[in-house]
Amino acid sequence: MSTALDQPQRTTAAASLRGINKSYKHFRLNNIDLEIEPGTVNGLIGPNGAGKTTIMRIMMGLVMPDAGTVSVLGHPISSREASAKQEIGYFSDDMRLYKSESLAFHMQFVRSLFPSWDEDYAQQLLTRFGLSAGQKVKGLSHGQRVKAQLLLIFARRPRLLILDEPTNGLDPVAKREVLSELMQIVHDDTRTILYSSHNTQDVEQISDTITFIDRGQVIASKNRDDFLEGWRRFKLLAPQGWQVPAIDGLRTESTFGNLRVMTLDRYQSDMEDRLQSSGATLEASEAMTLEEIFVAAVSRGREENR
Amino acid sequence: MNAHAIQILFLKDLFLSRWPMFGYFVGGLLSAMVTCLPGEMAGFIGFIMMVTVTIAAGIHLIGVLLLAESVDMTRSFVMSLPVSLLDYSIAKISVVLIAFLIPWLGMLGCLTVLTFVVPDAKQGALAFLVPVFLFMLVGFCLQLVTAVVTESVGWTIVVVVLGNVLLNVFLKTLREHPVISKLGNITSIWSAKARTRKVRPSSRRWCSHNTETDSVR
Repeated sequence: MSTALDQPQRTTAAASLRGINKSYKHFRLNNIDLEIEPGTVNGLIGPNGAGKTTIMRIMMGLVMPDAGTVSVLGHPISSREASAKQEIGYFSDDMRLYKSESLAFHMQFVRSLFPSWDEDYAQQLLTRFGLSAGQKVKGLSHGQRVKAQLLLIFARRPRLLILDEPTNGLDPVAKREVLSELMQIVHDDTRTILYSSHNTQDVEQISDTITFIDRGQVIASKNRDDFLEGWRRFKLLAPQGWQVPAIDGLRTESTFGNLRVMTLDRYQSDMEDRLQSSGATLEASEAMTLEEIFVAAVSRGREENR
Repeated sequence: MNAHAIQILFLKDLFLSRWPMFGYFVGGLLSAMVTCLPGEMAGFIGFIMMVTVTIAAGIHLIGVLLLAESVDMTRSFVMSLPVSLLDYSIAKISVVLIAFLIPWLGMLGCLTVLTFVVPDAKQGALAFLVPVFLFMLVGFCLQLVTAVVTESVGWTIVVVVLGNVLLNVFLKTLREHPVISKLGNITSIWSAKARTRKVRPSSRRWCSHNTETDSVR
């Protein structure tokens, strides 16, 4: 995924959002531009209330934006919402099944709306997820409920999966089962996944591209490897009066006595030498985890907006 | 508009509302039977039961099939499927209306049949009960439209309360209506001649036709 401003407009995008604005009483999505390439796994990371769910709901036509256009799998959502949804599998944590009915009822209901329903795959998922078709939804645990909903989505073989925090609240075993199934789906190059979470480890594990969102704004959007390779943390012992040399991409800087900790988002291999030659002693040059990168990017973004 | 999706949504909701629908249908039939029992008190109790069943069915079905979808968060699930808001609304309005009409028609049909089958039934009461049933149907339609448009429990309750207040006004107006009050006398019995005649379009003719009611028991 990338911001639309970075790349030329492509009609083959799995999903495209341009100039999306949406205002609520205490929250505003501000000029969101996103383009999702087909056959990729896209992670959407943001703190709670950042706007991830609103973006996904707008992509599904469940929320109408105040401004901007949305196109999903070639269908303009404003006019062909139902056609688009024929090829989308959408999961949201605030989505529930009919609690008085069984999983079999839901399977039959969804099957009747999707000619693409794969019954053999549905039966395999029932076994893999340890679910019983005859069990009433009200008797399912949270993990079983999530897996039941994912089964109903996966078995219809959608071209685009929009998953809003699917691993939220799952125990480690259930989370592994869900992620493992997603990894299998990822192997199919024709299918695109948009996956949101505030758990960076899950996103890092499966995503090709990652977008950070905070307070209704996209603050960074890149290939996962570009994030991990581009960000670096330096720990330096600096003499009295030492000045930070001009370095591109310096994002945060902290001082603890004579120890300086700096993070950069445009790391180059000669940077260690340049810092050493400026008079400081390089104590450590560390790669950062996606979570650390996310926190640094959000902190910097909030400082800039202050 | 996707007719196939509307049909699937309609059948799904009809299935989900099968037990309340059955309950109100049976309750409606029992109420109609009580109304046709001999004695003024039975007629009064039966009438109150029928009004109660009709009002309860309306509120319950709108609540279960429409408003609860937002509260229970099942609406997000349905709307994630290939249906538009128009498909969803058409299916919902149709199914709630049908689910209400089944007990409503059952009650009215049972009442009409029993009126002419049970020897001691107060046949003249039909002239009073049919307008009451039609009034409650219109009231239900207004509640349904309010629920669909506002998706608000609060506004729907306001319309329900308003409908019930107006029902009382309507009942009073009916009771005081010179023709209806005469025909609606629960002790009136229609003559065999009147029963075999076709109802004519003109109300004057209909009224004069019903002046052939037999004497008071």
